[in-house]
Parts: sequence; C-alpha cells; structure tokens
Amino acid sequence: MKEEMNTPSKSPATVLGSEDSFRLLVESAKDYAIIMLDLSGHVASWNAGAERIKGYRAEEIIGKHFSCFYPAEALQRGLPEQELKAAAKDGRFEDEGWRVRKDGQQFWANVIVSALRDKDGTLRGFSKVTRDLTERKQAEVQIQQQSKEIMELSTPVMQVWQGVVVAPLIGSLDSNRTQQFMERLLGRIVETNSPVALVDIMGVPTIDTQTAQHLVETISAVRLLGAQVVLTGVRPAIAQTLVHLGIDLSGIMTRASLSAGLQVAFDILKLQVVSKDSSH
Amino acid sequence: MNENEPHQGEFRITSENDIVMARKVVRDAATTLGFGLTDVTRIVTAASELTRNIYHYAKSGVMHWRVLNSGTENGLELTFEDQGPGIPDIEKAMEPGFSTGKGLGMGLPGSKRLMDELTIESTVGKGTTVVVRKWMRK
Amino acid sequence: MASESISVIKLRDLLLVTVPPDPDDETVSALQEQVLRAMAQHEAKGLVLDISTVQTLDSFFARTVAETVQMVGLMGGRTVLAGMRASVAVTSTQLGLTVGNSLTALNVDRALDLLNAAPSGSRRV
Repeated sequence: MKEEMNTPSKSPATVLGSEDSFRLLVESAKDYAIIMLDLSGHVASWNAGAERIKGYRAEEIIGKHFSCFYPAEALQRGLPEQELKAAAKDGRFEDEGWRVRKDGQQFWANVIVSALRDKDGTLRGFSKVTRDLTERKQAEVQIQQQSKEIMELSTPVMQVWQGVVVAPLIGSLDSNRTQQFMERLLGRIVETNSPVALVDIMGVPTIDTQTAQHLVETISAVRLLGAQVVLTGVRPAIAQTLVHLGIDLSGIMTRASLSAGLQVAFDILKLQVVSKDSSH
Repeated sequence: MNENEPHQGEFRITSENDIVMARKVVRDAATTLGFGLTDVTRIVTAASELTRNIYHYAKSGVMHWRVLNSGTENGLELTFEDQGPGIPDIEKAMEPGFSTGKGLGMGLPGSKRLMDELTIESTVGKGTTVVVRKWMRK
Repeated sequence: MASESISVIKLRDLLLVTVPPDPDDETVSALQEQVLRAMAQHEAKGLVLDISTVQTLDSFFARTVAETVQMVGLMGGRTVLAGMRASVAVTSTQLGLTVGNSLTALNVDRALDLLNAAPSGSRRV
C-alpha cells in the first residue's frame, strides 16, 4: 500500500510498457498476496506479498492446491470449493476468516476471489487477493473482551451517606449480569448497614420484560433484608416501555433523577439538609 | 479443588432429620468445590426442597452427588432417586404453586430456578429420579 | 430436645426469638408453638425473629414463618424479620418465597426501633 501507490513524476507505464509494469506491480506488492489459481484451484502464480503473508516460496507452492491455506474446520465445510464456485457464478467472492501459514500459524485474512475469463467469456482461472488483517482482528477481539469486562465490572455499589448506597446500572442487563449485580448490591447493603439503596437506571439503554423482572426480583430481595430500593433515573422512554410492557412497579418507589432519589432517601432516614447560611 | 477430596458420594434419606443432614453434605461438597456463598446457598436450598420431596412423597430414597468437569468449568450434580409413587403429570408438577402434598408447591419449579439444569424422570408406581446441576460462574 | 435450641427473650412488651442456623423441620414447628405460647403469656405487642445466623431458608421454613406472622397478627402482634443474610435473600427471592406480611429490618436494633415507632408499619413485604 505504501511505495507502490506513490505516483512518481514519470509514470512507470511509459517507461516499461503497461503489461510489464503491471506484472512488476503485482510481483513486488508486499502487503497483498496476489495469486492466480487454475480452474481446479492449483496455484499458478505467486507474488512477494503471498510469500510474506503465507510463508511459501514460489517454487514450493506453484502447482499445489490452494486448499492448503485453510484450517481443518474450513476444509470440512468445503470452503475452498465454495469460494471458487461462488466466484465463477457471481464473478467475485469476498470472505474474511482464519487461514493457515506454512508454519501452521493462523492469520485472519480478507480474501477476494475473482473469476478470470477470456474475451469469449470462457472461465480460465481465478485471481485471489489476500490481506493479512490479524492485527485488526486481534484489536477487535480485545475491544470486545474489554467491553464485556467493563460491562461486568461497571456496577459499583457506593455508600454515599451513612445508611444510603447508590448503584448506577450502565449498559444492557442480561440475567447473568443482573444476578451478579443483585448479589453485590445485597452484600453491600448488609456490610454498610444501609436501609436505603438507590438503583439508578439512567444508563440502561432499553428495558425488556425480563430485565424489568430481574429488577423487581432484586427489589424484593432487598426488602427481605429490611432495606428498600428507590429506583432512580427513570427516563421518559423507560417509563413508557414499563407501562406498555404492563410491568407492575406499584409499591416500588421511583424517581426521575438520582438527586430526587437522594431526597427520598433522606426523608426515609429522617434527615434534613440545612443551609449553613443562616440568613436564608 | 484439592485432589484428595472425594469427587462423589451418596446419602440415604429415611427420616425427617436427614433433610438437615443432606443439606450439610451438599453444603460441604459445594463449598469444597469452590462455589461462592450465594451459589452454595442456592444449591443447599434446592437440595433441601428435593430431599423433603423424597421424604414426604416416597418416605425414603438416595441422594448422589458428584463433581462435574465440562473441560472448561466445574460443576456439581445432585441426583435424587426414590421408589415412591411417581409423578403422574410432570408438566403440572413443574408449575409454581402446584402441590399434591404438604408442600408449598415450590420444590420442583423453585429448584429449577436455583440450579442451572433440572431433569425429571418418573414412572407412576415405580419412582422418580430428579437430576440437578449447577456450574461455577466465572 | 429440638425446642432447646430456640430462645425466646422478653424485652418489655416485645419478644426476641433467635432462630438457630440450620433448624430441622421439627425445630421450625416447635418455634411456632413456643412463639405463640409466649405471645399469649406475656401479652406481647410484637415479635422480632432474629434470623441473622440462618443459612438456609427453604419453602417449609418460609411457610412456617409466614404462618407464624399471620398467627401473631391475629393475636394482635406485629412481627419483624431481622438480619436476613444477603445470600439467603437472593435465594429465597429466586425460589419464589415470600414471608407473608412480615416487616423486615437489617438487624435486631432496627427491628426494635421499628416496633417501638408508630404503630403502622410501612415496610411490608
């Protein structure tokens, strides 16, 4: 992608003739494996990028069947044959998946297979352009894992006042996560001896019947302990959903904002916030 | 998990007092395996329900427990076996609040909620086998 | 023998009962008997059931507690369940248990406060 794409002052095509320059371009391309396959899928040409990405030298691989680039699982699915069939039918086939290097290591590849036809439209073979996207794939997997971990860890239960804990729920709530949340919330209520827990759902994007059921369950469990939940951060959309789903939250204290919830907590604890400025 | 700890065991249920003993056996097994306190409580509570079912409906039976390993996670399996009257309508028995005996009708459906898996095999006049499993959450 | 493990303590016009950690069915039934007898004997206006050491609350135990709360209510008393463990609360909820009209409190102190406060309790489960 780097030097090959630069445009020097004098076009190489004018120096070399277009066919030669194209051949040079393909042969020297290092970031792309550009190879040709015959009709049955045997390797017919090989470039520097193919050697770099797949690890074979041209003399080792030309004439071999291209199925050796696939992991066993893909072979079982018959993927190599499917790719050629699809390319022959539609002209082009694109796929992303794991492929195997000569040393057995796997890499994440973007593959484009195109059908090569002569002037009469007769299928002559295939071109196959492969890019190594392993780093991008690893980054994606890492991000996925991290966001999952963040989701799981991101429900702190904080004591904000003597007798009041706050739990801001963020992200979607599946049953596993809600269970962990329930355990943590109840544990903290007992540890901190807090009669009031503010559960803030401002950061919950959507709520479905099951999530609501989990919340109701959590609130019942908190009551068994001898504490009570005030559900805060009930946005208009969430309020609408809850009513439309027919979820019965009667008997559960709810407030639109966390600060309104804190006021309820103070009322329950018979606390009053007094301004220090005596003139007011 | 300590390699020297037993990986399975069984316990006979013949009297009401065995319900408490069964709870103790299950609590020890689940704690040794490394379950957290809440999961231990869930497993023990389900064991209490299912043991009581045996005592109430069949008078006697056996509880087996064994450690499971799926390759990636450990779990505990409890099997409750009796030669009692059997359950004529299992689907109905799984409905909360349905009871033919002295129970609250919470035993089977409640145990299913507390555990990860619950299966029942029952033949009227021959007996009932209930298998429950709990996997360790990561 | 079972009833020996339950202690019923009279505190002014209230009763404090400490439930043992892992009671068998017989003990649970005996608890109900003893509580009701003590209620009558002392003309108590309230009952605190300290369940802070209870490890397992199964459906039989829960039903007996709910019944007891109801019976104490008929005798004019109010019951507070005090100190349920977090693990037990999670499990009971998931099992689908309720403890009837009992009031709940985080510990015995708060339960006593609750019963000594205004007669109408607000925290019903």
